[in-house]
Amino acid sequence: MEPFEIGLWVSALLVVLVVCGLRVAFAAALAGFLGLVWFFSEKLGFDRGLLVAIKMTGTVPHSKATTYALALIPTFILIGYLAYFAGLTRAIFEAAKRWLGWLPGGLGVATVFATAGFAAVSGASVATSAVFARIAIPEMLKEGYDKRFAAGVVAAGGTLASLIPPSAILVIYAIIVEESVGALLLGGFVPGAVSALIYGGLVVLLAKTRKDFGPPSAGFSWKQRFESLPGALPILFVVFIIIFCIYGGWGTPTEAGALGAFVVLLMALRRGMKWHQLKGALLESAKLTVMIFTIIWGVLIYVRFLGFADLPAVFAEWIASIDQPRIIILLCILLAYAVLGMFMDAIGMLLLTLPVVFPAVVALGYDPIWFGIIVVKMAELCLITPPIGLNCFVVAGVRSDITVQDVFRGVTPFFVADVVTVGVLIAFPDIVLWLPRLVLGN
Amino acid sequence: MSGSSAIIEDDTRLSTLDRALYRLETWLALAGGATVLALVVLAVIQIVGRKIFNAPVLGYIDLVEQAMAVFAFLGIAYCQRLGGHIRMDILVGRLEGRMLWAFEWLSVAIMFALSLLLTYGSWLHFRRAYDIGDSSIDIAIPLWPAKLMVPLALSFLSLRLLLQLWGYGRAFSRNEERPVAVPLIETAEEQAQHEAETVSGADDDTDETPSGGEGRHGTV
Repeated sequence: MEPFEIGLWVSALLVVLVVCGLRVAFAAALAGFLGLVWFFSEKLGFDRGLLVAIKMTGTVPHSKATTYALALIPTFILIGYLAYFAGLTRAIFEAAKRWLGWLPGGLGVATVFATAGFAAVSGASVATSAVFARIAIPEMLKEGYDKRFAAGVVAAGGTLASLIPPSAILVIYAIIVEESVGALLLGGFVPGAVSALIYGGLVVLLAKTRKDFGPPSAGFSWKQRFESLPGALPILFVVFIIIFCIYGGWGTPTEAGALGAFVVLLMALRRGMKWHQLKGALLESAKLTVMIFTIIWGVLIYVRFLGFADLPAVFAEWIASIDQPRIIILLCILLAYAVLGMFMDAIGMLLLTLPVVFPAVVALGYDPIWFGIIVVKMAELCLITPPIGLNCFVVAGVRSDITVQDVFRGVTPFFVADVVTVGVLIAFPDIVLWLPRLVLGN
Repeated sequence: MSGSSAIIEDDTRLSTLDRALYRLETWLALAGGATVLALVVLAVIQIVGRKIFNAPVLGYIDLVEQAMAVFAFLGIAYCQRLGGHIRMDILVGRLEGRMLWAFEWLSVAIMFALSLLLTYGSWLHFRRAYDIGDSSIDIAIPLWPAKLMVPLALSFLSLRLLLQLWGYGRAFSRNEERPVAVPLIETAEEQAQHEAETVSGADDDTDETPSGGEGRHGTV
């Protein structure tokens, strides 16, 4: 049998295993292992083929998981967990409220920019929505905001966390497609800001056009505004560290992540974080880290096999040979991601599909960094769509007076805004690429 | 998708064993977390040392890469105990009763077989490094301890999977509704509820534990 035919069979098996609910990391590892057995059995006979496959598979976890660039992931995760103890969430919401509250839908706009700001110390979309559901929704309801609208803002705002660094998912993308981690992280800043601006504009528009949707808040004096800034400063500091470590050549992204985590840790300790809280944060970080590393090496076992099967190259060749404008093909791929994302976790989805999809997208002539940002944005989109838009569920989970249906309805305009954002990013790729080019050169 | 679960406990032998193993797994996971923290401190020393005193940490990258094995692998059984390894539960989530437990049992059995294979394969990888005396490029740290982490962690995972085979098997034979010692599939509502609990109180000055590591989960 041709190697790429083996590749097709094994990939089909992988899909079946994943759909049947086998843990993604192990489904990928198993498929990869069986593929290697098959491939080498045909060459060397079954006994030797099996041994080669076992040895090869046994090498992957250690050699692939302990690469320096991946050490960035746990530091980003740790920043996210510690940020809750550093008092940053309330501080940034307060600052955003004082500076932006005067706008129509002011508290809504403030929520959008507070989540965007908090995203700069957190990569966790769902958790960000959960936190701001507790902080922002009560204030919005007090000012007479529409309940669904308030819930929708928070659910949508949370999705900014994965785009704006520190974002583990961008690091994972960079590693799996072997692109520069620094470039991906930098690439996320401007699109994240653009998303926030589009959300903000939408809130103002909705508040202006619909009665009782979101009245502006009473103004704050300039003194009050400036007083609110120091509490939110550490967030700027973390952003500063990440950009300037990479830009100024102070250190690697991994060192930048660690320095950021250190700053947030000091803040949390200063605010009196207790031992059991630190222990909890460490355990949660450890669990999430090992989950991510397991799925990384699991998928890389599959990728190891794919290399022998030559499947990605064949697929890329086929995609490039389709006689359609490349934008149509891209839209089809993105649509497939949107559907897949409704049923699968973003990390699992990206890791499983990218080894095959990525070479095809590059063959179409699209920029790898740009595509990474688009895909992550698509994955985030799925957090606010039924059936399992977790951000919506978490908002409803925090607020007993708001149903999931309320949130889904409230978030609909933001879903439309996200589609517009993706369109804008496709039409103007420079939005993504400008900052990485400026900082890192071409 | 699913990355979280609730585990029921009682005073049966299965549950007692489950909790004993869980304590051990928690320590291993905590070792991983502590290593992350240690690397954060090491990186700060590295940056300060290099920028201010022109004295970088000797073999910094070697140290990081060796230490990574601790948090990359040791928590793997802990994560499995809590149902933290992500999967697609759109199909299994619809099953009920014996059908569900049979499905779960099969899926854990597959993982168990794979885990044993990988333990053997990674053990061979460790043995090669140990026999040759392989060491890191920069400051020549021996590589075998880090490589040993893989079969070690996978052995604990195999133990955990064995226990879950028992758990699902018992659930199947007794046709239980809510069996002990195995992660149960949660609806999006339940997951969201846990996520909400994870962060609740953390932004106030309250004494609540945001997570406590008692089976709650986070999402990236």
